[in-house]
Parts: sequence; C-alpha cells; structure tokens
Amino acid sequence: MRKRRHASGADAEQTGIDLAPMLDFVTNLLIFFIITAVFVKEAGLEVNRPTSFEQPQEEDSESIQIQILETGEIWVDNRAVDVRAVRANVERMSAVNPDSGVLILAQARAPTGTLVEVVDQVHLGGIYNITFTTTQ
Amino acid sequence: MQSRRHAPETEETGIDLAPMLDFTTNLLIFFIITTSFIKEAGITVFKPTAQTAEGRDSGNLMIAIRENGDIWIDRRRVDMRDVRPMMERLHIERPDDTVVIIADKESTAGVVAEIMDEVRLAGIEIMSIAADPAG
Repeated sequence: MRKRRHASGADAEQTGIDLAPMLDFVTNLLIFFIITAVFVKEAGLEVNRPTSFEQPQEEDSESIQIQILETGEIWVDNRAVDVRAVRANVERMSAVNPDSGVLILAQARAPTGTLVEVVDQVHLGGIYNITFTTTQ
Repeated sequence: MQSRRHAPETEETGIDLAPMLDFTTNLLIFFIITTSFIKEAGITVFKPTAQTAEGRDSGNLMIAIRENGDIWIDRRRVDMRDVRPMMERLHIERPDDTVVIIADKESTAGVVAEIMDEVRLAGIEIMSIAADPAG
C-alpha cells in the first residue's frame, strides 16, 4: 500500500495539466475564424439625402445646383457643361460663397456613373456638403 | 555518462507544446479581432471610379445594384419593397453597421435614391456609394 501511494506521489511530480485538449480546441477556433474572415474594404463617397420632411428649396441661393439629365448631360447655372468643368465651376462658386453646399438634382434615369463623377468633381472642388435628390 | 544522459530524456513526454500554443493563440486573437462579419452583396458590378473615394472600416452591409435595376443583398436578389424590412432586421442585429451601396455605372440614379431612402427609413443614417479609387 505504502509503495503504491508513493508511486502516485511520483505521478504528481509530472509536468502538470495536459495541454493537448486545449490545443485541439484553440486550433478549431482558429480554423473557424480563418475561414470566416473576410478582408473586404469598399472605398466609397458619402452623399446626403434630404428626408421627405425637409424638401430642398429650389430658390435657395446659398447652394450650388447641378443638374444631371438622363442622357448624362450636366447642367450648372443653366449651362450644359462637361464633367471636367464641374470642378472649376464649383471652385468659382465656393470662392464667392464659402459655406455653400452643393445640391445635385438628378433625373431618375440618369446614370449612376455620371452622378459619382460629379460628386467626385465637387469633392475635388473642395465641397463635401453634398445633397442629392432625384426629379422625374 | 551515457546512461545518465539517456535515462531522463526517454522518460519525457515528447515535444514541448507550449510555444506552439502561444503562437496559435496569437493567431486566434488576430483573427478574432479582424473579423467583422461583412454581409457581402454576392455579385460583381462595374463600379464607377472616383479620385476622392476613401476606404471606410465600418461599411459592412453591401447593397449591390445591377445595370438593369436588380438589387442584391447578402447573396440574394431582393425586391425594392424587401430592402427596408431586411435592413431593419440587420440593423437590430448589429446596430453599428453602416451601408455601402455598390451601384453599377449604368444603373439609374432613381434606384440609388430609392434605396438610400429605404435604408434611411430603416434607421441607418450612415451610408456611402462605392467607387473605385482612380489612378
């Protein structure tokens, strides 16, 4: 008896906790997270949208209006302009009125590509306060 | 000499697992932290390009709009009327989520505007329109 007990005393002298089950578990968790990890990052542009309660005021002289027709034509100040001219127009108007925002009035069937180009040009012109509405 | 060297080594358990465990745990923590559970749209569209497009860390609900006006969320094609309940449900699940609208170059501004309204009505205020950084 005594000898046996002594033997179990030798057992207690061994390395301690068995790490193998914990390692199994951790590896499983690791595999799960590796599989579910998605490294997607979309670059984008932020645009405001007026709520139905605050209808954009058409006569608001503070804001610069840019119209986009369904053909992709861009109108600023009652003139048809090229996409590359939007930036110059915005810069000129924001120099006159530095706190002005931009109102983009797009026809419902206007292409999104043109819309994003215009937003990009307005950003390049230094205005980030852009509101976007559609017209019929 | 020889017997002394030999005896304790054969009695040991084998490979020391502790460094491997350290390493694995570090990897695990890295993947837990970087996981963001993005809901992908599930289709590829031709995005417009913009020079001022900036990457956002938090945009993780993707809504794709194809050139024919089809809307895709979470790898499924959905109707315009389903966008709002779907966004409401996802917003309740994870209130910090923000929306990225991935619109095709040829899609119409009207559909984009409608989706922005629906997302806003579902309670998500922060959204952006996806664009590839130009240049």
